[in-house]
Amino acid sequence: MASDSSPVNTHGPSSPDDLTSSPINNTYSSPGRPAASSQSGGAFSTPPRPQSTSRFATPAATPSSTNPRPSGRRASSTTSTPLAAATPPTSTGNLSPSSPPSSDGGGGGDGGGLPMYVWGTNISVQDVNAAILRFLRNFREGVSDIEGKYMNAIHHVIEVEGDSLEVDAHDVFDYDSDLYTKMVRYPLEVLAIFDIVLMDLVSKIEPMFEKHIQTRVFNLKSSISMRQLNPSDIEKMVSVKGMIIRCSSIIPEIREAIFRCLVCGYYSDPIVVDRGRVSEPTVCQKQECLARSSMTLVHNRCRFVDKQIVRLQETPDEIPDGGTPHTVSLLMHDKLVDAGKPGDRIEVTGIYRAMTVRIGSTQRTVKSLFKTYIDCLHIEKNSISRLHAEDFMETENGTPDQVQVEKLEALSKQPDIYERLTKSLAPNIWELDDVKRGLLCQLFGGNALTLPSGASFRGDINILLVGDPGTSKSQLLQYIHKLSPRGIYTSGRGSSAVGLTAYVAKDPETGETVLESGALVLSDKGICCIDEFDKMSDNARSMLHEVMEQQTVSIAKAGIIASLNARTSVLACANPIGSRYNPRLSVIDNIHLPPTLLSRFDLIYLILDKADEQTDRRLAKHIVALHFENPEKSVHDIIDLPTLTAYVSYARNHIHPQLSDEAAEELTRGYVEMRQRGNFPGSSKKVITATPRQLESLIRLSEALARIRFSKLVEKQDVMEATRLLEVALQQSATDHSTGTIDMDLITTGVSASERMRRENLVSDTRNIIMEKMQIGGPSTRIMELLEEIKKQSSAVEIHLNDLRNALSTLATEGFVVVHGDSVKRI
Amino acid sequence: MVGLPYDCLSNPLGAVRFAFDKALSSSDSAAALDGKDFGAADLFLRFLDNGGLLKVPLLNSKTIKWLQPNTLVRFRGMIQDMLGNEFYVGAYKDRDVWRTNKYADVSQSPMGSPSNSQIWERRLIYCTPVPGQNDWTEPSASCIHLETLGKEKRQRDEDAVMEDLSSQTEGFPCPKRMREGDTATPSSTIHGVPAEGISSMAMVPSDVDKENLSCLVKIYDSPESDLKLNDVFEFVGILTFDQDISMEKDNKDDPENTICEDLLVDLLPSKVPRIHCLVHRKLAQSDFLPGPVTLEPKPHLVKPIREALLGHLTTLLGNDGVAAQYMLLHLLSRVHARIDTVAVGKLALNLTSLTNESISVFKNRILCILKTLLPFTHDVPLTVELLNAGPLAPRKDYDSNRLLSGPLQLAEGSHLTIDETQLKAGSLDSTGIDNTRVLKSLLEWQKVDYDFTYYKVEMPADVQLLILSEGKSNILPADIVLPFCPSSVDSLGTPNAESLAAWRWYLATMRSLTHSIEPDMQKVLEDDLVAARQTDRSLGTQDFSRLLTMGRLLSISFGETCLSMEHWQMVKELERLRRERLQGRI
Repeated sequence: MASDSSPVNTHGPSSPDDLTSSPINNTYSSPGRPAASSQSGGAFSTPPRPQSTSRFATPAATPSSTNPRPSGRRASSTTSTPLAAATPPTSTGNLSPSSPPSSDGGGGGDGGGLPMYVWGTNISVQDVNAAILRFLRNFREGVSDIEGKYMNAIHHVIEVEGDSLEVDAHDVFDYDSDLYTKMVRYPLEVLAIFDIVLMDLVSKIEPMFEKHIQTRVFNLKSSISMRQLNPSDIEKMVSVKGMIIRCSSIIPEIREAIFRCLVCGYYSDPIVVDRGRVSEPTVCQKQECLARSSMTLVHNRCRFVDKQIVRLQETPDEIPDGGTPHTVSLLMHDKLVDAGKPGDRIEVTGIYRAMTVRIGSTQRTVKSLFKTYIDCLHIEKNSISRLHAEDFMETENGTPDQVQVEKLEALSKQPDIYERLTKSLAPNIWELDDVKRGLLCQLFGGNALTLPSGASFRGDINILLVGDPGTSKSQLLQYIHKLSPRGIYTSGRGSSAVGLTAYVAKDPETGETVLESGALVLSDKGICCIDEFDKMSDNARSMLHEVMEQQTVSIAKAGIIASLNARTSVLACANPIGSRYNPRLSVIDNIHLPPTLLSRFDLIYLILDKADEQTDRRLAKHIVALHFENPEKSVHDIIDLPTLTAYVSYARNHIHPQLSDEAAEELTRGYVEMRQRGNFPGSSKKVITATPRQLESLIRLSEALARIRFSKLVEKQDVMEATRLLEVALQQSATDHSTGTIDMDLITTGVSASERMRRENLVSDTRNIIMEKMQIGGPSTRIMELLEEIKKQSSAVEIHLNDLRNALSTLATEGFVVVHGDSVKRI
Repeated sequence: MVGLPYDCLSNPLGAVRFAFDKALSSSDSAAALDGKDFGAADLFLRFLDNGGLLKVPLLNSKTIKWLQPNTLVRFRGMIQDMLGNEFYVGAYKDRDVWRTNKYADVSQSPMGSPSNSQIWERRLIYCTPVPGQNDWTEPSASCIHLETLGKEKRQRDEDAVMEDLSSQTEGFPCPKRMREGDTATPSSTIHGVPAEGISSMAMVPSDVDKENLSCLVKIYDSPESDLKLNDVFEFVGILTFDQDISMEKDNKDDPENTICEDLLVDLLPSKVPRIHCLVHRKLAQSDFLPGPVTLEPKPHLVKPIREALLGHLTTLLGNDGVAAQYMLLHLLSRVHARIDTVAVGKLALNLTSLTNESISVFKNRILCILKTLLPFTHDVPLTVELLNAGPLAPRKDYDSNRLLSGPLQLAEGSHLTIDETQLKAGSLDSTGIDNTRVLKSLLEWQKVDYDFTYYKVEMPADVQLLILSEGKSNILPADIVLPFCPSSVDSLGTPNAESLAAWRWYLATMRSLTHSIEPDMQKVLEDDLVAARQTDRSLGTQDFSRLLTMGRLLSISFGETCLSMEHWQMVKELERLRRERLQGRI
């Protein structure tokens, strides 16, 4: 053991030139060396040592630099001895990286120039060395690139005096899949060689460069779920996704200790910490002194590195039914310390390690347990916070593999995919097919567009469901919420404005003010489901104006002025004001929502409970089946939920349909037609049946429909279906019940054009009557009398007292009459 | 003892070794035995099936006093938390012989070179006694075990003397801390039962929670989906107590130890017994019946029991027959299917019109009968203070890395009584609002959101909810709202043990009956529902669901597995009576 650590000490402060060769002198050329000295307790065998030494020698040489990994590696290589079978230590070869692997073919015999093998395998160290060198030198991203990607990167690192080189594992795989496999299976060994090769390259480029550069591998081909980590992954390179739940405080870990003699003041050479233990010199090394037990640690001349232990927990989507989330410990060093904070979703690349649990040092018993952790190499934050995340579902599902993509593509080729998806959406909610189609469009979404001028058009489709109680609106909402992982479900009754948008809170520990996201911000790029929309306070609802059109949330409070993205689709449902929908009233009167907000919904569906025996029967059948039949039996030919989610997520991420010319033409035509419907032949009154908002909705819906088919182009059929959907929704919500036509004024002002005309007529009638019957300044007349008069004149239309009062108040504002209680006086 | 390599009861580890050696002889390497059972579980399963189960002593707060470590025990509990997986040296080579650490905490002999060991994995789950478990479910400590164990104890005591001597010579002052790893003496490794022979009292760690004995169960080779949170299980396995109390404290200076800090700190081995589970089985309610099941769920046998129970409930509820009927249905309800988000089969009951006077009388009566009839019951007096006090739903404490149980972490089939009459006017803080939301979602969807700080995890529940309130509860919208009209307060005769046993059997068995419907009956139902809806437009899916659930429950209350016309009429009649009461109140 002494010999193991000796190279470090002897080579101590050496020049970078020595670096490459320093780790080399203690190597074992063959796997035949007996696994040595298993003593007691934390016994360990020697073979791992050269490995850690080689990895370790470099920081020893450059006291200013810090080396994150060795401690972890070292620690475990000492403690996890029993693992050696699974994790052979490298016999880091007698190779100076500059020496070509010429002796490759030399066979496995004994002797000087024999090839080195990674212990217990047939992986030749020289081969790996050469492969890495080739990769670093020659890998180019594009064919036309002159400089290799990593040579550039190395130059850059040298320039900025960085301490790490990030290596994309995908690049390694593309260049040399064999090297990739070796790297993942034997990360300790291969990364050690990687570092050596890298330092060699660096020293050739810039001989005076003193810092040690670490290789940080990231973006492995496949990431593993935390649940699936098992003993066979130990000492392999793994990539795990999760959420940080706890960070330890930063632990300074002593790396090099310096001692001073209390007698003579002699400073010892830096003593490298070995397996977390400092071998304190018992005797002063100065020849003149040689005092015993006089050495004391000099804290401020020792070298420390930062260390942090972080716990990572599974994200909710990975937890199986009836399980609790798993956690795993991460060990972070140096730069990685504090790279993430609790709540962050990260993807970690590192080496999975296990170490024995030691029983008290007095005990000689060995507990047969291991503690596992991941020695981190690289952290990738999936979303710094959800505010800046990429498209929804992407982070939770990862990129689907090739097989799945093909499966989805095949699915999208089916001619009836639209119908099948509709059927698969909430299969246990019967009927409401058009509503489901609308919801499907919402799930897929349109394309958001930002013009160079800064104007932006949202791609999210907002839907409002209004309907009688007991029409399974809430179930639809719950279903959509379940389907969209980034969705937030909230009830209007319990939501406040700040709860929906964002609020400023004081962190109880630090006292800092922090911005906490509300439901709408949290569901950025997702769907925010708001139940009982009508019960929401006006204050809260007014916040939605900005969200639904500008897709941002602006707040200014407690010194924080911010505009947060809230690119969310809103799916709201509301009950009519009198709990049942009154068909004689307009939508606005029924749901008691401000028209400004209402017009921001692309689709407003009325889910009405019609007194229709057919529907009732279907409902009854459905519920009876729900209670008495096997639930699996009743559904058939539908796409299951995971596939549906994958389908939606793939479409949202990969399909960005463009409008075809034909479709654009159809859009124009459809829009013009919709507007023209307002012009009745022979009628002078103007009814607006569509507004530019509807045109935008049409575009979004058509895009969503094209997405459903995985089509790159929005085609005519999409536009036609979109028009139909919009009309279905409009017909239900914007029908003027007295004329039967669609009237956007119902939405925008709550009063239909015909109603407006009727009121105008009444006002002029009233004016005429008053002109006839009353004199200026004359005695006042009772309203009831006036009503009789008017009824006599215009027998065709029924006039209510309220209508008359409205008319009179209009006249009063004109200064034509004065109304006192029940009496009217002309002035 | 030597002649019994597999006395499963007192020397289970010997049996494990026996199975291991046998398996080894048929395969060349221990590596092949990873991840699957090498025959030990089969061996024990056979033993248990042949009447061995009843011989295995039950581990609970009473029996822990005399149970020996490293013997076979039974433990019944609810899975309260899952602590993830644990890697251990599963097999290792001691000189030339493979040995296994499976089903043991510590290795029996020093482990040799690392190259000759296999790392295997096991699951840790934390089990507590089922919350709200009533006394009658606990079987009285059987004397059979005492006798046999007594005999063994004497034998062990003899061994112990020897062992004491040997350990003392090694300088261990306390026999409790004797050899675990250094017992490489051939005799003890073959014999298995390490002679932990001290007087049995000494074995009980002083700080074991006597009332609520929780257990850390280590599960081997079982698919993850087998065991779910809040499931009630019976584990048969090897009991171990780690005597090494000093372990956690020793290594504070060791930097590596900070990694494993949290997990087991709370679960000091000296406080929480470990069970290395050999066989586990999910328990249904009927498994908690004390006596052996003799009756068959045949209608003609069931009917008299039903009548008697209904009669008792009627008296109990002050001669309110309708309430008794509903109560019976309520007690039989369970979630039998989940379709999308709908929990089918639940029947939460809200008894209203309970005034201050009547609540004092009837609440106790109701709680009392529930306690004697159902295995797991709870009672929550709903007050503003309680709602504001703290979260009702379980939440994860990241400091200890444990799931903190809340009043709403309930086993499947528990009964929860919420007394809303205690609720006074007052303001709820954010915890309170959260709690009402959780309660509501439990009522409506039979789901509880467990709070994991950064996100919530929805856990399905199956809890019978009874709400006592003055008016219709708005916080807790139950399926059935029934104004309670007691006419007299008769004194309640104590039911004899025999009928109690029959009623318990009845409730536990009937609720698990399967149920179906004939096509023509289905037609009748549909017609009835359509007709009802034509006359009253306000009827919705919820009302239909309620009717059908009641139909199902009523017919299983008679022990029938198929809905008959007669029962359907009864349901409609019941509902009519209830509506009359509701309207009478308005």
